[in-house]
Amino acid sequence: MSRTNSRPSIAWAALALVVVWMAAGVSGQPTGSSRMPTQNGEWPNYSGDVKGSRYSPLDQINASNFNKLEVAWRFKTDNLGPRPEYKLEGTPLMVKGTLYMTAGTRRAVVAVDAKTGEQKWVYSLDEGKRAEMAPRVLSGRGLSYWTDGKGDDRIVYVTIGYRLVQLNARTGQPIPTFGKGGMVDLKEGVVYGKLVNGKWQQVQIPLVEGEIGTNSTPLVVGDTIVVQSAMAEGLRYEYTNNAKGLVRAYDARTGKQLWRFNTMPGPGEPGNETWENGSWNWTGNTGVWTEMSADPEAGLVYLPVESPTIDAYGGNRLGNNLYDSSLVAVDLKTGKRKWHFQITHHDLWDYDLAGAPLVMDVTIDGKPRKIVGQPGKLGWLHTFDRITGEPIWPIVEKPVPPSDVPGENASPTQPFPTKPPLFSRNYLAPDDVIDFTPALRAKAMENLKKYRWEQMPFVPYVIPSDKWLGTILVGNTMGGVNWEGSSFNPETGIFYTQANNSAISGASLSQEYFDKIKPEVHTPNHIAIWEAPGFAQPGFEAPSTSGYRANPVAGGAPAAGGGGGGGGRGGNALTEGLGGLSIIKPPYGVITALDMNNGTMKWQVPHGDTPDAVRNSPLLKGLTIPKTGQQGIVGVVLTKSLVVVGDPQVTAPPDRPRGAMLRAYDQQDGKEVGAVWMPAAQSGNPMTYMVDGRQYIMVAVGGGVYTSEYIAFALPRSDIAKPTSTQR
Amino acid sequence: MTSSTARVAAFITGVAVSGLLCTLGAQGTRSVWDGVYTEAQANRGAALFDRECAQCHGPAGEGGGMAPALVGSAFSANYDGQTVAELFDRNRTTMPVGKEGQLSAQQNADITAAMLQFNKFPPGATELPSQSMMLRQIKYIAER
Repeated sequence: MSRTNSRPSIAWAALALVVVWMAAGVSGQPTGSSRMPTQNGEWPNYSGDVKGSRYSPLDQINASNFNKLEVAWRFKTDNLGPRPEYKLEGTPLMVKGTLYMTAGTRRAVVAVDAKTGEQKWVYSLDEGKRAEMAPRVLSGRGLSYWTDGKGDDRIVYVTIGYRLVQLNARTGQPIPTFGKGGMVDLKEGVVYGKLVNGKWQQVQIPLVEGEIGTNSTPLVVGDTIVVQSAMAEGLRYEYTNNAKGLVRAYDARTGKQLWRFNTMPGPGEPGNETWENGSWNWTGNTGVWTEMSADPEAGLVYLPVESPTIDAYGGNRLGNNLYDSSLVAVDLKTGKRKWHFQITHHDLWDYDLAGAPLVMDVTIDGKPRKIVGQPGKLGWLHTFDRITGEPIWPIVEKPVPPSDVPGENASPTQPFPTKPPLFSRNYLAPDDVIDFTPALRAKAMENLKKYRWEQMPFVPYVIPSDKWLGTILVGNTMGGVNWEGSSFNPETGIFYTQANNSAISGASLSQEYFDKIKPEVHTPNHIAIWEAPGFAQPGFEAPSTSGYRANPVAGGAPAAGGGGGGGGRGGNALTEGLGGLSIIKPPYGVITALDMNNGTMKWQVPHGDTPDAVRNSPLLKGLTIPKTGQQGIVGVVLTKSLVVVGDPQVTAPPDRPRGAMLRAYDQQDGKEVGAVWMPAAQSGNPMTYMVDGRQYIMVAVGGGVYTSEYIAFALPRSDIAKPTSTQR
Repeated sequence: MTSSTARVAAFITGVAVSGLLCTLGAQGTRSVWDGVYTEAQANRGAALFDRECAQCHGPAGEGGGMAPALVGSAFSANYDGQTVAELFDRNRTTMPVGKEGQLSAQQNADITAAMLQFNKFPPGATELPSQSMMLRQIKYIAER
């Protein structure tokens, strides 16, 4: 059942108001021009452009006036679904004076007046059981926009139940000529492996129970819509089999499928040999769950691929497992692979590629270079010539430790980039162990003796024993850059990112979990979860994370500021005796600037106020603790001169009410030049736009007790100079 | 309902509400540090947590990619200064995703008790009540 509440008369009136100043603006997608899509004050893609940049050249809001920002309007999303949402990850688009966004627990699409927030229309689709069983729920990260440039403007999004929907941007009505009645069923054509009479076949997944979806935005490049695929989150699988990842492209006008790229190469395709013992047949996932990027001029789409089933154990899928955790470049017109680079071989850590690739033009050693950078959980920006796939700076295969888990065969080497430097930690160095006081440090070092602690990334999980309780890992599941991605200023060649610098855990596969996932249990049938007896019936227990123990005794409960301890069930051997503080030193979260013209770090600063639990810790009484920053997932937006990003956690320091700050940093030196208060932490990436000579910064907030909300900040009208001809 | 039974019902309700208010008044303001749940209740809640919550939030509430952590400083900061009713109502009205409202009030109270235990608040002699109005009398204070 679809519902559309359309108010075309108001919509047209609003459009009429803005059409005067928009006259020179060209909306839509870059289809060959190098002109920035955000040049005219619009924000027509999730990342502003299709290159992952998150950059707008607007500069009305700048270092001199950021502190004067006021709330222009706000949009509460509570009623856009059967229950309120607390985790709004969306970033709106702004085209021709209208903001388009997803919101609410039914992932409604909403159009509002960009100046006032007045609702123009709302569309939502009640998908019943199909949505209830979906792996990627809630409002998602947003939507996409397509135009023919002649007035046919459409909004494109993927529902919770994995349907690609097109709406008339003016009315919110489905486009009847797109797919069937405005939608394409994306579950059709998705396959999984099934052993039939002793032979493996790839068969259609069930349309309701089959596990696939996405909460990312489709990528619209010219007249092509590229759609990704995601499954349930990592580290919860007890079944080796699942839907196989894929990326498909559709004609933006008709919804006709143009091509399909299988992210797990099938028999006869290059790469299939990296799935040993026939494991390609049954293994699932290996999708693309995050944002993709494109080089429209080169006609290339960049796919950041995730890890296969079962994330933390590869005994059922020996081999390098292409295109697991690989950056893959495919042809925009045909979907044919042009090049790929595997960033983690045979991923056992959930290091999968999580942020949008950045398509960047820079000058290196005096030569203009077309490059693509892949930020990730590992804290590296893997950087390549985006046409050939050659690393810009050497990426060296180095030996890494073996696994002692039965049946596992970890890759003997993994790639280590030499440049740019790490923007967040990916292992625990001795110097990074807590040292607020000598006693805390001594206790921390004692705790670490119980763990497999090798000072490098790629150290495999262990099954807990008298020897080790777990493996010290930093920067895997929740580390570095996650779905929020990074950003790039195309005018200066500088890359900026927020990153989680303290996601530490003592990771292990409990014996109980291992006994459920070991090859003997699944061979030979390797059934999918929906084939399990009693699936979805009352009493059926869905696979839980119970096997994944960040700490075998207590879980890797996040501690004060950083990760790894501070709560959880029973004791926590990793943070025992640390008074709830993280075992890893601040900064817990950072903002980093990398100069992509030479691969060096320009600056790095902590981001976020010192968490209350650190500031008020009785163990730190009398000590002066420098600003620690906070761990969390928050994306930045770049204006001409600023890096703007909200705090990932709420705090209540003595000088202001409980809340979180939206902060502005100078792009040149990282100095914080302004901050405004928000009632809750940033939950979705900010964006910026200009309408009628007024620049807005829009950000999604929520979490804890605060239901989700979009907030638009702008300068007081009295502070804004009259628009000039160049400042629309 | 006849008018006489309605009057009786109103009288009984009135007595019950007054009694409740007296009880709450006598208790004064309590906090999560005052032993507001029992060990047995938290154990019941932990078993429920395993079944209903751990899939997304992790066995110890450490959080996953999509589901936030239910322990640690970021979690505490959200509820610090609020009351346990906010936490209970959040559980009651929005969780578990897809099964909102399907757990009983008692089950929600037990899960809330388990979450207090995960966050190292001490158990006591009386169970956490299962009515959010009563839980409004218990402050959530992150640090003692």
